[in-house]
Amino acid sequence: MTEGSPAADGVPIGASSAGRAAMRAPEKRISSGFGRYLAKHVGGAAVSLLLVLFSSFFIFRLIAGDPIDQLTRERPVSPEERAAMRAELGLDQPMWQQFWDYITGTLTGDLGESFQYRRPIFELIVERLPATLLLSGTGMVLAVVLGFWIGTRAGWKQGSRFDKGQVATGLLLYSAPTFWLGMIVILVFARYLGLFPVNGMRSPSTPPDFWSQAVDIGHHLVLPVLTYTAVVYAGYLMIMRSSLLDEIGSDYLTTARAKGLRDDEVRRRHAVPNALLPTVTLVFLALGGVVNGSIVTETVFSWPGLGSLFVQSIFYPDRPVLQALFVLFSASTILAVLCAEILYWFIDPRIRRSG
Amino acid sequence: MNPHALMRRCLSAAAALMLSAGALAVTAPAAAQADDDKNTLLIATDQEVDTFNPFKRRFVITYNTSIMTYETLVRMGTDYEPVPGLATEWVESADGLEWTFTIREGAKWSDGEPLTAQDVAYTYNLMIENEDIRTWNIDFAGNLVSAVAPDDTTFVLTLAAPAPAEVLTREVFIVPEHIWSEYPDPSADDANQPPLVGSGPFQVTEYQTDEFVRLAANEGYWDGAPGFDEIVYDYYSEADAAVAALEAGEVDVVSGLNPAQMDALEKQDHVTVNDAQGRRYVSLTLNHGTVTQDGTEFGDGHPALKDPVVRNALHTAIDKQALVDTVLDGSGTPATSLIPSIFAQYHWDGGDQLVQFDIDEANRMLDEAGYERGDDGIRTMPGGGDKLSFRFYHHADNIAYATIVQFVTEWWTELGIEVTPEPIEQGTLNDLAYLGEFDIAFSGWGVGPNPTEQLGMHTCAVLPTLTDGSERSSENSYCNTEYDALHEQQKVESDPDARAELVKRQQELLYTEAPVIWLYYQNTTEAYNHDKIGGMQTQPSEGGMITGQQGYAWAYVSAQPQAAGDDGGAPMWVWIAVGAAVVVVAAAAAWFVLQRRKTADERE
Repeated sequence: MTEGSPAADGVPIGASSAGRAAMRAPEKRISSGFGRYLAKHVGGAAVSLLLVLFSSFFIFRLIAGDPIDQLTRERPVSPEERAAMRAELGLDQPMWQQFWDYITGTLTGDLGESFQYRRPIFELIVERLPATLLLSGTGMVLAVVLGFWIGTRAGWKQGSRFDKGQVATGLLLYSAPTFWLGMIVILVFARYLGLFPVNGMRSPSTPPDFWSQAVDIGHHLVLPVLTYTAVVYAGYLMIMRSSLLDEIGSDYLTTARAKGLRDDEVRRRHAVPNALLPTVTLVFLALGGVVNGSIVTETVFSWPGLGSLFVQSIFYPDRPVLQALFVLFSASTILAVLCAEILYWFIDPRIRRSG
Repeated sequence: MNPHALMRRCLSAAAALMLSAGALAVTAPAAAQADDDKNTLLIATDQEVDTFNPFKRRFVITYNTSIMTYETLVRMGTDYEPVPGLATEWVESADGLEWTFTIREGAKWSDGEPLTAQDVAYTYNLMIENEDIRTWNIDFAGNLVSAVAPDDTTFVLTLAAPAPAEVLTREVFIVPEHIWSEYPDPSADDANQPPLVGSGPFQVTEYQTDEFVRLAANEGYWDGAPGFDEIVYDYYSEADAAVAALEAGEVDVVSGLNPAQMDALEKQDHVTVNDAQGRRYVSLTLNHGTVTQDGTEFGDGHPALKDPVVRNALHTAIDKQALVDTVLDGSGTPATSLIPSIFAQYHWDGGDQLVQFDIDEANRMLDEAGYERGDDGIRTMPGGGDKLSFRFYHHADNIAYATIVQFVTEWWTELGIEVTPEPIEQGTLNDLAYLGEFDIAFSGWGVGPNPTEQLGMHTCAVLPTLTDGSERSSENSYCNTEYDALHEQQKVESDPDARAELVKRQQELLYTEAPVIWLYYQNTTEAYNHDKIGGMQTQPSEGGMITGQQGYAWAYVSAQPQAAGDDGGAPMWVWIAVGAAVVVVAAAAAWFVLQRRKTADERE
């Protein structure tokens, strides 16, 4: 075994083993310390959310273009009709009024109405959220499991043919543009093999009963999930691999071997649990990203989720929808990071001592 | 907690998921086929639904669902001529202000209720009395005075000013009074929700946002039940995915294809491609000076473009046929003026004014007008001064436009003109164009069968009143009193031939003054699965289009299901191969798990 290659994620080996050594130290003053820690991070998250809320209004005003042009595309309209449409969409209001309506609306849960769909945005989001969660959630679970599993094996036998082959394959897929990979997947599995449908979440001809629908949705889910997983799993693979490499030279592994444990057991009972620690943040970030994580995949496969809604709204620009989605996407990431920070308190003693 | 056990559980879960996905893949098509006793026509679309309210819709997809769900009094024929719809005949009074329609007997709503002149009067009265609906349709509704139905088969419409073309071509979709009078607000976007009740050949019965729109055939349709049981608009956000689906037999009609996609589809045995004359033009707008109604100039266009000689020289130095051949791969026609050649009646062919591509001639025109070349070969304004240096804005997402820019820049450079092409995102480009802050910019419109709305964009009446670019009704600040007079005349002319003459004269004025250079009329490119569909009526009737029909869905109503042949799905060997692969994977997984358990037992 090599003496631990340089840590790819920048965590010095010594520091992490020191942290683990302290894990068994008695825990004192946890409640007051935790209170302060929690307040600090919740406060930080709240400030971030507020900044997102405010900036969201202005960011999407930077996208040029009059939504009326898109709403009336390919048909000239008289100035009177144009004025009527502006009034109906609230575009004739002064900027500060629009801003005030947006802030108060968002805070009270009234997200306004979409320009293009002419429907309440809240309704649109509720309708599309499950589709996105299904696609990115399934893809994320598969990517994490696959990435961690291969990463562990590859790291444990660093430099082996398995390691080299897996890292090369993973990185090749990781660097492939999602859009391009999606089209290849469509060509191979749908066009030439005719195995899977390429658009949407279900076929219009499927009977409405639960089982037919579930089977049909599963059938539609295969190609988008395949594409999504293929592109992102290498990230988890590389992190897990380097995290394990950090552990490989550690004394406690030598001790474990000295106890007479087989190589396989040393890996799964001692090395892997410790190597998993640094990946917690990553997994939480990924959870936050489940809401907004598959914009391109959704577009290629016409998946009726939040990602395709976002893309479609940019062209108008459908500002109320963009604002709402931007706040939602940011909020999910901020909250996921907050959860990771709170969890760290419990799993990483160094934080308790410094906090 | 043993993390390894957790890991192993996750792994088995993942393996199970993958295996079940495989199993799903194998069983699903069979399940779908079991229910497939309906003849369904599947059309690929990518446009979201704005509203099903026929008085407020703006999008193409809801136009298409409206012309199938509802009907108009006068229908637009396969050659864009007025033919009887819900009205069997109509008479215009001598002063052109009163129209009397005879309403068809025996027409029914899709819920079985009879359709009478009362429903027609109710519909037109919505446009007169409902404030929101009126504003939303003000260009037509503003001219309506009264709508009455003296009996069940007679409908009388009174106008403030004669407007024969508008009355005959304006699509007022007749809605059922017994349903609509129950709605709390008929002008609301969600006033009518599927299933819709209409009198047309198909009614919208189901809509899943950005998944599909389903229309069911009206079995009791007065003009005979359509051939297909239902029409489904299925969503494909990527055109290439829709093409792959047509090749695989999953969708039946795809439109808006590029030359490469057309070539690919042409090679398929089960696909017919249709490269038909279209209704769309692509043009270059020349900034000849943007002004408001009261004559205030704004914008920063190059002064040379105010000179018709320069504009005509630019026009003379464009080889439109070459653009059609290279950019469109031949799928189009060189353009003359505003109305595309598909509308043969109103199209003006250029006559003896037709500009021929001739760089030498264009150079001669500029020489004569005093635009002399400087030392660097670039021409300057007469008497010295500014160089003839033009900003050339094109839409960043349009590959065809980028190619056109390359050709045109080369030709214009030979004239001693400096051209600076700049790709701009379309929203910004529109903003700049209406602010007058450009020299030359791309534009393009789909033209309807009634030329009035397109011609109207070039009248003095629609010049902006403000300089902030927010009123976007004038295409290019064109204002010419002779043109306006012709426009008012053509609007009230009842004789189609006389009207056509006026419309052509308007186009000639636009052509010779060249505030806009029309480059080409783009073909409609579409393809369908002829193993599934046959007998579709095109519009125009000879060599016309299937998608993009106007006034009535001739193609989909006339479409007949074909005897089911190979549905284009996977051949049998694929299923066998997949089955074998699944078995092998399952066996390998089982062996792997058993092996692990055995060694694990030994180890513990």
